[in-house]
Amino acid sequence: MTYSSFIRSEFLVLWRRKQDIFNALLFFIIVVALFPIGINSSAEFLAPAAAGIVWCAVMLAILMAVEGMFKEDYWDGSLEQWIVSGLSLPLLILLKVIVQWLVVVAPLLVMMPLFSEMLYLPSLSFWVLIMTLLLGSPSLFFIGAVGAALTMSIKQGAVLVMLLILPFYLPVIIFSTLAVKAAEAGLPYSGLLAMLLAMSLLSLVISPLMTAIAVKASVN
Amino acid sequence: MSWAWFHKLGSPKWFFSWSKSWALPLFCVGCVCLFVGLVWGLAFAPADYQQGNSFRIIYIHVPVAMLAQSCYLALGVAGFVFLVWQMKMAPVFIKSMAPVGAVMALIALVSGAIWGKPTWGTWWVWDARLTSVLVLFLLYMGIIALQNSLDDLVLVNKAAAVISVLGLINLPIIKYSVVLLETLHQGPTFTLTKKPEMPPEMWLPLLFSVIGLYCFVAGLVLWRMQTEILKREHRSNWVKQEVMEHGL
Repeated sequence: MTYSSFIRSEFLVLWRRKQDIFNALLFFIIVVALFPIGINSSAEFLAPAAAGIVWCAVMLAILMAVEGMFKEDYWDGSLEQWIVSGLSLPLLILLKVIVQWLVVVAPLLVMMPLFSEMLYLPSLSFWVLIMTLLLGSPSLFFIGAVGAALTMSIKQGAVLVMLLILPFYLPVIIFSTLAVKAAEAGLPYSGLLAMLLAMSLLSLVISPLMTAIAVKASVN
Repeated sequence: MSWAWFHKLGSPKWFFSWSKSWALPLFCVGCVCLFVGLVWGLAFAPADYQQGNSFRIIYIHVPVAMLAQSCYLALGVAGFVFLVWQMKMAPVFIKSMAPVGAVMALIALVSGAIWGKPTWGTWWVWDARLTSVLVLFLLYMGIIALQNSLDDLVLVNKAAAVISVLGLINLPIIKYSVVLLETLHQGPTFTLTKKPEMPPEMWLPLLFSVIGLYCFVAGLVLWRMQTEILKREHRSNWVKQEVMEHGL
């Protein structure tokens, strides 16, 4: 196994199991639809709430996609192969998370213009929303990977991952929605975007190491 | 400086016999201090000129809120110790401390809400400090849930340590939320560097109840740790001897 063959196989696995990605995207659409149906469908309510709604839905969808990330590898023995391959385990995990991020976030971003229209998002904050998604979502994946690795040996671990990981997601959603609100109010928002990037970079450094510890403990 | 005492703490047998002589005195001192602090604070301390008698809940709210944060700090340190030095006692500590911390966070939230009603006119506001303490409570509950749903002990130890260390990030947010961010919550009651702004007859009982609660929790956790050690080491000879000699 080499790093490049690892990346190729990861892409291939995701491609062959497209349904999982579709499920996460469909889940995103349903969560977004809950808000206009459940609370208020008028533009006066939706326009200021749009960024928050999108971020809540993105967080839940990403958690759905990430939660089972290592399960398949755990039960079919791939994790043992990673450990004995002689390659650096944190690096393999980092590559896997990046592949996941590309595959899940790209379609989310493509759908975003559609949803910003449906939720009456003011057009001047659209690009800020896209920027927050680009800068903030990596940290969601990295933090989620730790939770996924800790719970991979449990058959029904989805709720547990939610319970463990969602508290860590809160700062990301706070800064993202603050950035969009600042943009709508005409205030500078680059500092908030920098905070998002900082969180992503920090989790990029810590998460692969922590995930590797959890993976090793689960496989023993 | 010799590190022998530190390394000794890693041995369950030694820790067990050491904690046996400390748990009860700590617990008793804690109870007495807590009693003195609470009675003094609730019955004899002067009323606040702004908040009247409703401020007296400070003698419960502040110690409990301090403990909720300190317990988490201890969890994080223990998690770090376990990940780096693989000390056997660290996961035992995490396992015994997490429920205590969760209760502290819950009491802090509830007593804060009760205090908020007369002073702010509302049970709850979504400001930085309240929300981050709520998150702290959820972190504790996450650790407990994780420990209860995993089966393999090795994995439980590692998992709890990892999540405790990660959760440390919440502590500075709680600590500085009243200083940096705009909030309804009043500033810190005690700081190490400045003299308290309250008169002594108001902050002395508070000091008593804070120290009392610290000792109380320390004693409680030592007891819980003893139980956990007995559970984990039930196959070893010294536990058999211990139980034969002193009973459970």
